[in-house]
Amino acid sequence: MQGQNQQQAYDRGITIFSPDGRLYQVEYAREAVKRGTASIGVRTPEGVVLVVDKQTRSPLLEGSSVEKLHKIDDHVGAASAGHVADARQLVDFARQQSQVERVRYDEPIGVRTLTKSVTDHIQQYTQVGGARPFGVALLIAGVEGGEPRLFETDPSGTSNEWKAVAIGSNRGDIQEFLEDEYDAGLSVDDGIDLALRALNEGREDALSGDGVGVGIVDADTGTYRELAADESQSYIDDIEDAADDSDDDDDEE
Amino acid sequence: TTIVGLTTQDGVLMASDMRASLGGRVISNKNVQKVEEIQPNAALSISGSVGGAQSFIRSLRAEANLYEARRGEYMSIDALSTMASNLLRGGPFFRVVPILGGVDDDGGHVFSLDPAGSSMSDTYTAQGSGMPYALGVLEQEYSEDLTMADAEQVAAHAVKSASERDTASGNGIHITKITHDGLTTVGHKEFDALL
Repeated sequence: MQGQNQQQAYDRGITIFSPDGRLYQVEYAREAVKRGTASIGVRTPEGVVLVVDKQTRSPLLEGSSVEKLHKIDDHVGAASAGHVADARQLVDFARQQSQVERVRYDEPIGVRTLTKSVTDHIQQYTQVGGARPFGVALLIAGVEGGEPRLFETDPSGTSNEWKAVAIGSNRGDIQEFLEDEYDAGLSVDDGIDLALRALNEGREDALSGDGVGVGIVDADTGTYRELAADESQSYIDDIEDAADDSDDDDDEE
Repeated sequence: TTIVGLTTQDGVLMASDMRASLGGRVISNKNVQKVEEIQPNAALSISGSVGGAQSFIRSLRAEANLYEARRGEYMSIDALSTMASNLLRGGPFFRVVPILGGVDDDGGHVFSLDPAGSSMSDTYTAQGSGMPYALGVLEQEYSEDLTMADAEQVAAHAVKSASERDTASGNGIHITKITHDGLTTVGHKEFDALL
């Protein structure tokens, strides 16, 4: 009994390590990320693709009010998984840092620099008393010196750079799919196709243009934009057509 | 300095001379662009302290970009002028007397601003040491039904007149046109082609 109480004490304040060196509150925050719908990032030589799952709980909900994709600056976009409200705070922090960089140096902020400043902010909430960690992970996609870059942040304040990555629910399966199918020479169109197929992996209901969000940072123009629902739908249609074709092939054999 | 801003049928036309001077006695730079884009539908012309104006423009751009990133659309020109006036009123931007011009859903707008935070909407306005000469021309030649091409001639005439008589203005002209299609700035070292 006593032991159990002691164990519990280690997840009360986040500034307290457990005897085996763990920060329980940070681990719980990672669980919160897993409960969020998935977001996927794919880096290609032509740009970075972000695809988010924004399936709605009710047909009466306005899909456009689901915030999973965020413009950070002209050349940077972000996708989130986990607590939306926490994501909004981080996204606005990132937007402000981007503008501070322009005021201070008259230069667009580097994607790595931006990610580090966001993760430094996240890290403070794992060490300061009276606060809780951010229950959200971000994918930060952008162009830096003409090069596409894709970073991930997690609730501990760690960042990693990826070629292709998934966060949120069903991460394991989606990541495995990406690992099998990723090719370093993909076009942006191929990247969107790959990310949508990865999102489709292990899903029961079909993808729809309203139910997904697609953001692209184009390496040539160095600008971030989000696709309209009908544009996303046409990519989904292409995937379904391709799937039908391969079914036909199977029949012939 | 001479800067002018005119509303036209299709938007806004702004013009500025190219001279930076030390008290109007020494020309410190002969090729200055005094019009800067703030967002794709708005620009600011600067007169007064160069350092103050450059810093002011950086702050304005940061606010405009943040607004766009947060809300997915650019500020209306009314909103931008209010924001600019608030910055001037509370901020350390000494001795800047800008003109703000831009196009939004309600059409073209020109605002005169000053360091105390005043923000006055107008159909045409001028600022800088050459302002009296430029206004003299604008009073004669401006009308609200000007096309962009007409307005370019009127603005060039105004800046040319000021350049002839004001020692702190000259060395050429920049013309900035803002319409719903976007913003362009072109520099001319000679006035002849415009008149």
